[in-house]
Amino acid sequence: MRRSEIRVLILRVGGTNCDRETALAFRDLGVEAEVVHTHRVIREGSLPDYDVLVFPGGFSYGDYVRSGVIWAKLVEAYLLEDLMRFVEEGHPVIGICNGFQLLVELGLLPGFEGRSPYPEAALATNASNVYECRWVRLKNVNRGNCPFTRSIPREAIIRMPVAHGEGRFLFPREWEEEYLERLYEKDQLVLRYVKPDGSFAEGEYPHNPNGSFHDIAGICSPEGNVFGLMPHPERAYYGWQLPDWTRMGRPPEYGDGRLILEGIVEYVERRF
Amino acid sequence: MKRERITRREVPFPLYEVDLAGAGDEELLEIKEALGLGLSLEEMRALRDHFEGLGRRATDVELQTVDQTWSEHCFHKTFKGLIETPEGVVDGLLKTYIRRVAEELRPDWCFSIFEDNAGIVDFDGVHGIAIKVETHNHPSAIDPFGGAATGTGGVIRDILGVWADPIACTDVLCFGPLDTRFEDLPPGMKHPRFLYSGVVAGIGSYGNNMGIPTVNGAIYFDEGYIGNIVVYCGCIGILPKDRYFRDVKAGDAIVLAGGRTGRDGIHGVTFASAELTEESEEVSRPAVQIPNPIEEEKLKRAIIQIRDEGLGSGITDLGGGGLSSAVGETAHRYGLGAEVELGVVPLKDPTLAPWEIWISESQERMLLAIPPKNLDRAMEVFEEEDVEATVIGQYTKRRRLRIFYAAHIVADLDLGLLFTPPRVRRRAEWRPPRLQEPRFEMPPDLTETLLSLLSSPNIASKESVVRTYDHEVQGRTVIKPLQGEYSGPNDAAVLKPLPDSWRGIVVSCGMNPRYGKIDPYWMAASAIDEAVRNNVAVGGRRVALLDNFTWGNPERPDRLGGLVRAARACYEIASALGTPFVSGKDSLYNESPLGPVTPTLLITALGIIPDIRRAVTVDLKRPGDLLYLLGETHPELGGSEYYRLMGFLGLSVPKVDAVKARETFTRLTEAIDRDLVEACHDLSEGGLAVAASEMAFSGGLGLEVDLGAVRVSSPMRDDLLLFSESNSRFLVEVSPDNASEFERVMEGVIFSRVGRVLEERRVRFYGSAGRLVVDASLSDLLEAWRSTLR
Amino acid sequence: MRFKATVYVSLKRGYSDPEGETTARALRGLGYSVSGVRVSKVYEVELEAESREEAERLVDEMCRRLLTNPTKDDYRFEIRERG
Repeated sequence: MRRSEIRVLILRVGGTNCDRETALAFRDLGVEAEVVHTHRVIREGSLPDYDVLVFPGGFSYGDYVRSGVIWAKLVEAYLLEDLMRFVEEGHPVIGICNGFQLLVELGLLPGFEGRSPYPEAALATNASNVYECRWVRLKNVNRGNCPFTRSIPREAIIRMPVAHGEGRFLFPREWEEEYLERLYEKDQLVLRYVKPDGSFAEGEYPHNPNGSFHDIAGICSPEGNVFGLMPHPERAYYGWQLPDWTRMGRPPEYGDGRLILEGIVEYVERRF
Repeated sequence: MKRERITRREVPFPLYEVDLAGAGDEELLEIKEALGLGLSLEEMRALRDHFEGLGRRATDVELQTVDQTWSEHCFHKTFKGLIETPEGVVDGLLKTYIRRVAEELRPDWCFSIFEDNAGIVDFDGVHGIAIKVETHNHPSAIDPFGGAATGTGGVIRDILGVWADPIACTDVLCFGPLDTRFEDLPPGMKHPRFLYSGVVAGIGSYGNNMGIPTVNGAIYFDEGYIGNIVVYCGCIGILPKDRYFRDVKAGDAIVLAGGRTGRDGIHGVTFASAELTEESEEVSRPAVQIPNPIEEEKLKRAIIQIRDEGLGSGITDLGGGGLSSAVGETAHRYGLGAEVELGVVPLKDPTLAPWEIWISESQERMLLAIPPKNLDRAMEVFEEEDVEATVIGQYTKRRRLRIFYAAHIVADLDLGLLFTPPRVRRRAEWRPPRLQEPRFEMPPDLTETLLSLLSSPNIASKESVVRTYDHEVQGRTVIKPLQGEYSGPNDAAVLKPLPDSWRGIVVSCGMNPRYGKIDPYWMAASAIDEAVRNNVAVGGRRVALLDNFTWGNPERPDRLGGLVRAARACYEIASALGTPFVSGKDSLYNESPLGPVTPTLLITALGIIPDIRRAVTVDLKRPGDLLYLLGETHPELGGSEYYRLMGFLGLSVPKVDAVKARETFTRLTEAIDRDLVEACHDLSEGGLAVAASEMAFSGGLGLEVDLGAVRVSSPMRDDLLLFSESNSRFLVEVSPDNASEFERVMEGVIFSRVGRVLEERRVRFYGSAGRLVVDASLSDLLEAWRSTLR
Repeated sequence: MRFKATVYVSLKRGYSDPEGETTARALRGLGYSVSGVRVSKVYEVELEAESREEAERLVDEMCRRLLTNPTKDDYRFEIRERG
């Protein structure tokens, strides 16, 4: 598929607020990116017209009840059939921040046995108990299952910002070890928080900014094409968005966030 | 009062009529009391005369409308009134001192100033940048979370109210010391720590939820804020200049959009008094408004869509005074009248009386004027965004405000009356405080002093607050409030508003409440200098200013005396710096049982930078680079943090030589444009020593400075050199390769090479006799700076 | 029949509850000897159902489908009939 033919759907509802910059970043990659209200996609049944689906960051429905859950239930009630077909066809489905919370609440991530009717994980209130906006270091730990990070060398460290109050990735305590094993088995771990020296954060604040279990920042589905992450690649897309670009003289053209979005686009080019 | 002065009209809803004819002063005051009006006796007399002339009774809706429109909050009577001072009469502070700067400078880049909900300056010829800063002190004192959140929500609506898309928020907060003892608080007064955490959470919650980055601000602590906290909320937006629709015509529909109308924010004492109500209604009406940022987020989307499609002819937000001021002011602005049916306004609570609907300050509502041919499409846009919108009336040729409820007329007011309240006349007299310059021995260990200063609350890192605000959403933040790995304090934020342009905006602020205790004139001058130099330090120029006064009761000549002095400084300093005021707001009557608020003037500065890739940050970049101090150092420590630490308040307030300052600013800008500046930091609280330390630990590099090389007006002791707060100064890092060119650019400006950057992670100052007077490790400095507000 | 259900949602035991811990710290700061605080959320749900059993079944389903995430949340509820 030619890049210029690729259509990215960035879904939104009331309270979504990272849609604009996400669309701008995708457009910079030479694909078409549209921001459309979820109600309209439901009404028009237009999901199959797109090649990539992004659930962007924000505070959908005020994050009432739990972050992302009301939006997840809207999708579950009215869009599930189209969405599951979209996923099964291998299209990329990306959840960033609030979008990751939605994918977890929807049961699509980790999705050990396909979509589970109830969430198998949670993104709980940060261990610090506060909303926090800061840049973090992440290690790409995926062994190749997630097609979107293939252009990032394995074990490479990238930087992106997080900004959330509920990003502490958790498994049910009694299943923690077993679930983690399954993540490894199916190569679902993608990004983990690390310290400046490159070693895993081991829960240490602020390198692991929210207290996530096993320093988990992003995971994918067993098939690899559903990917959720707390950090914001669209805010680390250009070099001038870096927190310390003034130490490099002129800002570099791009930041690390571009690698991820580019990986998504390249996957579609290859696959379809 | 004769009871028959207030009677209920025979209509199927609560409506009261007031017979003002022949009412004496005492009766007027009783009427005012019974209706909970804030009008003065003189204003009540003017109303009596007006209705006597008409030969009819006034309705409660009419009196409440006048009460709102003439209030200090809506009309700014003090700033527009006549003020008698010992030096003569000032005919309007706003006109004489604030607006006049722009009127005389006539900058062609000021697009709309002091006219609309926000000031608008040109950005790139095609776009305008809108900016507004509001106060929300009283609501935040009652309910810190809700008050601060709705303050943010309100100022965001001011930006929407000029058709601009909000791209950044600012916040400046003042509290009593967090270690204030509970026992020292008067009964019922909330503890500074409680107010602090509530306000911070409220601001973060609203901005974060709406997806608007909070990029600049300050937090200040002083005893004078224990009884009166100060909450300034600012917002910046961008709009295509040809989308600035303000061309309302008779026949255009008045559309109320957004949240429902409830009892939120309706003023205190009301009809609840027993002789007036048949049923004993609930007495307390919430003065606090409930925030709902998601409602406003949807409203924002709809408004931007309506703007982009060119469907509206006018817009304004609903703030103080609710519908009454929004409808009245827009009609007045366009030389029209208006007819409104209150019965169709969507309500949260069906029991609201007409006057309550009319003045309710429920949040998340906007008023739009839509020409009839666009109405269907506009309503469709609101529906698509899931926003409730209602046509409540239309603008008319007849310049009257005619309000209906269920088709009964409940108010019929001449707009001329509404917008020509009797002018207030106040007296002002400032008396200099009785202070003297302290005499004390220089402390033996200045390293210890520096560490204590870094951890004093007004200097210490605000990271624990700043990180709870999303400062990166929208992906436009080029220079962030906190710099790099060590979260150093940048002087200003830089944003890149447009995807296809390198042009940026620079946002900074200045505030020196403690200087005002010595002389409000130099407080204002210093705040302006600080705001502008913060802007210049990162690469900003062509600076526009906003003034936000928070003062005590202006009816007290001493309070007003200080205000007049500060306003005069605004005119003189801003004129000399060539920086016009484009918007402002005042909050007066900030008094509590502990006395008046510490008089506070916040100056917000909005500059532009032609290419964001030239922006400069605070962190030292390379060992071996040279350090230059720009500007002259005087023994000006009267209101300094150093004196405060030592327990003094002196007389030697920092002054501003605006001509010299302007030259320094211009040259520094030139040096930045020539890529000669590696790092730059303005000198403010804590002076040279604090600025140098911040640059060092922000960059993870050490430095050494020779105090003997500092340019001074007269010989000074080492501690005074280290900690003086003289204005218009910068510490600049320059690579040795660029040193001679930098010095050439700076020729004519007072400056000197004072030191260099070290690989070794220590900060060293050598005193006048070459003696090492400060020697501290970066980790100790950073730890001191970070520990206080963790 | 009309019912009112009061649903309490709280973090499962064994999970750290940052809000509770922060609140406990603040209370201790005020001089109270507080050994711990747990925060729950309360929902008051008004609903129609054929019978109390039916109402209980519905509310339980609501809890599982929306009001809780079984990974971390526990819930309980009380149901009252309304006249």
